[in-house]
Amino acid sequence: MNTDLRKDYLGIVFEKHRKLTAKERVGKALHIPLTQYLVFSAVLISFYILMQGGAVTSSFVFAIGNTMIYAIMAIGFCLLMGYSGLASLGTAGFVGIGAYIAFYLVQEYGYTFGVAFIVTVAVAIVTGIMVGFISLRIEGIYLAILTLGLSEILRNTFISLKSSIKIDMSKIQILGAKIGENEVYLLILLVFVVLLWITSNLIHSPVGRALLSVKNSSSAAQAMGINLMKYRVLAFVISTIYAAIAGLLYMMYLRNMTTSTSTLLAMTTSLNILGAVVIGGAKSLWGTSFGVFIIYGLQSTLLSKIAFFVENPAFITMLTGLMIILIVMFFPGGIAQIASNLARKYRESKLRKNVERRIEAYGRI
Amino acid sequence: MAESDRRYMRLERCKSRLAMEKEYKDILLKDIDEQVEKEAVAFEAQEREKLYRQHPEWMPKELVYETVYQAKLRQFDFDMEFEMQEALSQAARIVSKNPEQKEIQDSRLKELAEKQARLREKFTAHLEAALKEQLKEQVDIPPDEEKALLGRVEDFRLSRCRETQAKKEKISADEDAKIKKLEASLKKAEGAVSKTGLSMPEDTVLSVQNLCMYFGGVHAVENLSFDVKKGEIFGLIGPNGAGKTTVFNCITQFYKPTSGTLLFENKAGEIISLTDESVHNVICQGIVRTFQNVEVIREVSVLENLLIAGHSRFTLGLAAQALHLPQLKKQERIIKEKAMKVLEFMGLSDYKDWTAAGLPYGILKKIEIARTLMCDPQLIILDEPAAGLNDTETASLTELILRIRDTLGCTILLVEHDMGLVMNVCQTICAISFGELLAIGSPEEIQNNPDVQKAYLGESEEEAN
Repeated sequence: MNTDLRKDYLGIVFEKHRKLTAKERVGKALHIPLTQYLVFSAVLISFYILMQGGAVTSSFVFAIGNTMIYAIMAIGFCLLMGYSGLASLGTAGFVGIGAYIAFYLVQEYGYTFGVAFIVTVAVAIVTGIMVGFISLRIEGIYLAILTLGLSEILRNTFISLKSSIKIDMSKIQILGAKIGENEVYLLILLVFVVLLWITSNLIHSPVGRALLSVKNSSSAAQAMGINLMKYRVLAFVISTIYAAIAGLLYMMYLRNMTTSTSTLLAMTTSLNILGAVVIGGAKSLWGTSFGVFIIYGLQSTLLSKIAFFVENPAFITMLTGLMIILIVMFFPGGIAQIASNLARKYRESKLRKNVERRIEAYGRI
Repeated sequence: MAESDRRYMRLERCKSRLAMEKEYKDILLKDIDEQVEKEAVAFEAQEREKLYRQHPEWMPKELVYETVYQAKLRQFDFDMEFEMQEALSQAARIVSKNPEQKEIQDSRLKELAEKQARLREKFTAHLEAALKEQLKEQVDIPPDEEKALLGRVEDFRLSRCRETQAKKEKISADEDAKIKKLEASLKKAEGAVSKTGLSMPEDTVLSVQNLCMYFGGVHAVENLSFDVKKGEIFGLIGPNGAGKTTVFNCITQFYKPTSGTLLFENKAGEIISLTDESVHNVICQGIVRTFQNVEVIREVSVLENLLIAGHSRFTLGLAAQALHLPQLKKQERIIKEKAMKVLEFMGLSDYKDWTAAGLPYGILKKIEIARTLMCDPQLIILDEPAAGLNDTETASLTELILRIRDTLGCTILLVEHDMGLVMNVCQTICAISFGELLAIGSPEEIQNNPDVQKAYLGESEEEAN
């Protein structure tokens, strides 16, 4: 009986119409962005649950929460730099807006988180529009220096307003209910994943494509009916909103800050975020989030277990610096590029193996 | 001006929505048909598989032979090609390191090619023999069984058609209602648009009157006037630096002219003054341009380039895009279908998923032209479309330009240095030099015009002849 032949024939003809196997179905589902975000948030929630059970230390979860706050800034910056090609070093100043709104509204006037959130977004929109208009006239390195100056002005204004701010845990309310210290982690997680999803949606819609075309060729963009002013301002507004939200969440989570000595509102933050986006890949949200983890999360989660790094903390900064140099030199697309290269290599090697096996079989004829 | 502009924008948005809705109806109906067809094929496959499993000795002999043979051969060719590519890149690597190895590598590659050819002969012979041997014991399906099977498939298809008929009618009715509503709102918007009171000669789509463009003391364009008739291919020629591209930039509002009038009949059939439009609104009025040095968005794929070109057709706000609402998916679908149609028209379908960055120059030029077709323009402005193309590519470009004019009914305005192309396709040619009009007329008139000859060949043309 010619089972081989029949199998070949049926395989060739009916390949397209067969039912998917379970493994293929899982693979297909994982390609849907929404599933990715659900899985991602499930992993992050599991840290919280494990902490309740005592399996992971609370300092580990705290570090993850802290990383997520910086990641919110970074994905906004990713949209600004990777998609619209505008270099800004003003992130830190915009973070301060959120932090001080949180202090004044929540601590001084006793408003709930929701009100503070809405006010933060509104103020960020106004600031973003103003900076966005400036960005129309100035480009490249000059814009970076200008935003840097703006950020310093904001920082000094905040210091003279109140040099040290503090929020009491008892003042933090969501929808009228008081929440505990650890539940703020879940709040941050929710905001982070939702913003990640929204950003990814924007990137994969006409807006994202319009931003890319503005970055690549402003004259072609204009000829295609894309309003340069609108999209540059939009990019600035979005990144400002994200930075301000990050500041708000920072104050919810850490609850006190001495502005004059804290690095949060200093140039360090802006540069670190830039570094994270470069390491992760300016066009990839997942890569950027991972880059933030390397810069902000690695030290307190993994490297703190290694005695060498605990004794010589300066080496950690050197390590990240070295990494940025190597990545810029060899992989301008960041970790996202490395990952996609590896995936391609893997596929290619699999294909090569199959071809070699078949060629060997041809040789035996 | 702002108020009437806003009214016009509203009108355009209405129109865009209406056009999209009409396209969407076709897409939905087509989707249902395709789904039924797919189900029917899947059903046939299932039935056949069942049949073959029940009666292992039955098999459509010729068909099996042909299918398996072709598939195996394709696989073989693919493998050989892969091996060859690997060998080629390896050889290139070695040669780039030490060039004296070149001959050895060349001969090695030649050997491989010969080996592959020998193997292919052997393989085909082996495959034929093996298949014949395997098919010897098989019998064809009895005709009545085959007939019964096909009948079952036909029944299935018909029943599915009947089931979907109701759905189709419902979709049709829904879409028609939507279209009617949009048409009504369009009428209202049309009524609101005030007539501009400008007038142009009959049959003219673009009228340039006394255009001047000065950059400080440089008079790039001086008192230039010409009319472009509907449906014609109009050529603008002149020596280097004559100000041709400046004229284009003035028409598309990249430069605001120093003085002069630019009248244009837009998609609504209304005559507008282009100088009142901002640069990104020109496309909404129906003028699209290409660029001298290709301005393709290199970071994204060819298809996405076309989607960017369709940007002005999207009517949704930021919230719908941030949340990926169903309306966005619908519009994306419509624009994508349109893009696929344009790609097919341009013969670029194979390149749709390629990133534009690595594509050859000729393809990039074609993408630029494809982009202009995304918004059903009235007037296409081509800035040196043949620059950097070889003779074959120029010939196919000529054919393409004519095809665009004939099938889509657009007016085309082009600047070109390639006189062969200009004389072949243009009905009217306007020659300029140092920003001033030299002559305007048919290709023959321009060729015989002494002023034009002087501008191109210099004063001593008698001697040159």
